[in-house]
Amino acid sequence: MRWQRGLWLFLVPSFGLMTLVLLWPLGYAAYLSTFDYHLGSPGMHFVGLANYAQLLSEARFWQSLWTTIGIALGSVAVEFTSGFALALALYRLTFSVRAFMILLFLPHIITPVVATLFLKWILTSNWGLIDATLLTFNVNPPDWLGNPIWARICVVLADAWIFTPFVMLVLYAALQTLDQAQIEAAKIDGAGGWRIVRHIVLPSLVPVIVFTVSVRLMDVFRFFDTIYVLTGGGPGTATETITMYTYQLGFQLLQVGKASALGIITLVIVAAIIAAFSGILQRGYGRSS
Amino acid sequence: MKTRRLPYVRNQTLLFAGLALFTFINLVPLIWAALTSVKNPADAFTVPPTIIFEPTITYHREVWLDRGFVHYLINSLIVSAGTMLISVPIGSLAAYALSRMPQRRASPVLFGLFTIRMFPHMLLAIPFFVMGSFLNMIDTYPLLILALVAINQPFTIWLMYSFFLDIPRDLDEAAAIDGCNLWQTFRIVILPLARPGLTVAALFSLLLSYNEFLFALVLTGIRTKTLPVAIASFGGEDVSDWSISAAGAIGIMLPIVLIMLFVQRHLVRGLTIGAVKG
Amino acid sequence: MSRNSITRRSFVGVATATALGPFITRANAAGPIRVISHRQPALEYYTDQMKKALPEGQVSVELMPIDKEVELASITMSSRSDAIDVAYLNDTTMQKFAASGWLEPLDDLWAKHKDEFKLDDFPKSVIDSISYNGRIYSMPILTNTEMFFYREDLFKENGIAPPKTMQDYLDAAKKLHQGRVSGTVMTLKPVDGCLNETHWYLNAVGEGWFDKNWKPIFNQPAGVNAITMMKQMTAFAPRGFTSAANDESTINLQQGLAAMGLQWFTRAASMDDEKKSRFVGKINWIAPPGGGQRIANDGFAISKYSSKDKDEIFKMIATAAGQKSMQKGAEFAMPPRLSVLEDPELAKKYRWYPGARASLEVGKPFPPMSDFLDVGAIVTRYILQAVTNEKDVKAALDQAAQETTELLQTRGYYK
Repeated sequence: MRWQRGLWLFLVPSFGLMTLVLLWPLGYAAYLSTFDYHLGSPGMHFVGLANYAQLLSEARFWQSLWTTIGIALGSVAVEFTSGFALALALYRLTFSVRAFMILLFLPHIITPVVATLFLKWILTSNWGLIDATLLTFNVNPPDWLGNPIWARICVVLADAWIFTPFVMLVLYAALQTLDQAQIEAAKIDGAGGWRIVRHIVLPSLVPVIVFTVSVRLMDVFRFFDTIYVLTGGGPGTATETITMYTYQLGFQLLQVGKASALGIITLVIVAAIIAAFSGILQRGYGRSS
Repeated sequence: MKTRRLPYVRNQTLLFAGLALFTFINLVPLIWAALTSVKNPADAFTVPPTIIFEPTITYHREVWLDRGFVHYLINSLIVSAGTMLISVPIGSLAAYALSRMPQRRASPVLFGLFTIRMFPHMLLAIPFFVMGSFLNMIDTYPLLILALVAINQPFTIWLMYSFFLDIPRDLDEAAAIDGCNLWQTFRIVILPLARPGLTVAALFSLLLSYNEFLFALVLTGIRTKTLPVAIASFGGEDVSDWSISAAGAIGIMLPIVLIMLFVQRHLVRGLTIGAVKG
Repeated sequence: MSRNSITRRSFVGVATATALGPFITRANAAGPIRVISHRQPALEYYTDQMKKALPEGQVSVELMPIDKEVELASITMSSRSDAIDVAYLNDTTMQKFAASGWLEPLDDLWAKHKDEFKLDDFPKSVIDSISYNGRIYSMPILTNTEMFFYREDLFKENGIAPPKTMQDYLDAAKKLHQGRVSGTVMTLKPVDGCLNETHWYLNAVGEGWFDKNWKPIFNQPAGVNAITMMKQMTAFAPRGFTSAANDESTINLQQGLAAMGLQWFTRAASMDDEKKSRFVGKINWIAPPGGGQRIANDGFAISKYSSKDKDEIFKMIATAAGQKSMQKGAEFAMPPRLSVLEDPELAKKYRWYPGARASLEVGKPFPPMSDFLDVGAIVTRYILQAVTNEKDVKAALDQAAQETTELLQTRGYYK
């Protein structure tokens, strides 16, 4: 493979920058996670893995972990199915595609700090758009953000509203690189629409699917604005996710050591989920190249 | 031929109608927010909802004229253009290299990128700030751009990697045989084929840096403050500020919409692999 | 100049490709005094006064929601950066920042400028709330209290008097809870909203938060009664009360969706603003039944790491907190200066002042400990679990008390 010699040079700018800028904060956080470090207090004590042990034995940690996993799987499932359906629909549609694309993409353009505020104006009890409309017709709506089950559903839908366009756009772009000849050949062989999707489109999209789903999974675990603005973790603790806990530890309680430990634990868990997912998908479909 | 024509028209119409309905429902929150931005707060949150009202452009005017959003817009554009122009090229280079390596070597690297991306940003923000103050670069464009490029790298590399992976290696080898060196192969043969991917990567790094909030809050000051930080400063306390939030949020979408209109043709079927092979 | 070129060189290695070099500017050392503050009308006014206190361009003000502001201030000051000179802090945050050693003690400057700015005009209770360990750490800028908002017209229609005790309040809420109008607003979004509401119930019905040795007492019978009453009250709160912050409650009152409830003084003016409210003139204010609602004294503190002339900064803040400035500022917030607060003209101009003064007499600040917000974060979580039936009230409070004790133990409260 003579042509490959020197390929590593291509990695230098990007990886150099990341080592310089990202790796050391990460390492620093890992280092901090072994200390009992309260930002306000002068000293920090080395405690080894005590922060980890403490977190893993906390009921609050496990509860927020399960809540997070539930919400994350829910939103990613909704986002992927609707995003994929939209991408396919746009791919099949032969006119006004560009207009639809922009209109469908709009929710993703709104600055995240405000996007959730917009949703809140729709969902808030009494004076939110849905409630206000239903109340006008004397229908008594459920308490969207105050009922534990509805609150979870709302959080999932809110996330999906913002991020389905992302999934849609990436998959749509990937569809553009599909091998037309192969599809035409399948059509001539008499394959129906669903079979083409199942046997030609899906397998060749595997890398992109792994990418979108993984990115969304990671972000759902990381993001926190949506829930913070919509429910503040409530009602009770029904929508309290692991990031909200990290936020409270890091920014409100200033327990940087423990917060870093929580960050690292989260990282390990998400990595495991993603590894499992991409393993299954790649074994199922094999490599396209 | 004619028999195939009819179901085709019917399918297209159904598809169009379905998409149109979905799009409309999907846009309701946005439409409602746009209405809110031209209402006074007393009309904005009522039972029943107020559809007929006297629109006011007070809030839009206030945002752009009195609150200096033009200045923040310029900051945002500098930062996001800078980020995109650095992030996408270096990210694509790295992604290409990874996609041409044996998978057992590329996989761990990609996984490492994952971990970086997953780490909660609030835990990165503090070391970043410390570094920025150490270099005496708080409230400068390069610092924020640097930070945004770095946090954007994993995403760009991953995205481009999955696109490059779809481009058969035979093409690289053919180019090599034709006497292209590595750079020429990448630049002349591979990159044009990945154009939809590049467009998407560019769009998302633009979006990420245009909308990023936490780093922008921590690393900027009065000189380099970006739009999201400016808008967030109107959240809460006084309900009349909500109309300003809405006006600001609607207003700052426009540049991105314009950019999308402009780049869209690159998203749609261009020079695709199928075409090259066929 | 030399500084500038070093900065430039360190950057060039990384991003030569961009043409952004010229934009690099020096950090804060020579720039304007940087003030960050929560955004609300009163603080917009007072920060504006600071700008006017010094020549044009020497002060830069950034306003943002309080949580973002505190995050920014924590990150900056914990890394000992001089990027921020002055920050708005409420009493609890001030305690926390002072305890961390991030704030400049102001005693010397205070003594030096006492006469020039009539600093004796602040009552002792206010001075106490801006002090930590006997030293002054911030300049009081506004006193805020929660008051009891109620719809006078609805009370008259139903022939009931404004509530004097918590039981009256509960009965009134039950009676007025009909159709679209909820009995009372409840602001229970964690942490802030819920903490304020809890503070009131614990003081009005219970016996407060701690005994004098900082041992939690809120899980004793009186405290359990308080939270049980709170739970009963939620039956008459608007739907979605668990995620209601002050904004939601304000809008519920302005739109006639709730008959009464606890809200901040700073929200009173908007009840009479027809751009925002549909019930102008219908709402009246009294001291909260039972008393013990939150009083807060907020101020501006100077960062210990500021590299500017602190004497100049102090004079700038003191001018904004001066008598003249506060006479105008009274429109937006209660001024902490006695001479201004007792001015009879105020009540004539702003009809919520009598209610506010009555509230000031019965209210209580948060317990004076630098870790109170941390305690609040723990306790509100359990209280929300209790009022939403996730947990039994007593069990929830016991657990909250236990975790609070553990926390305070590690922070060295019990010798």
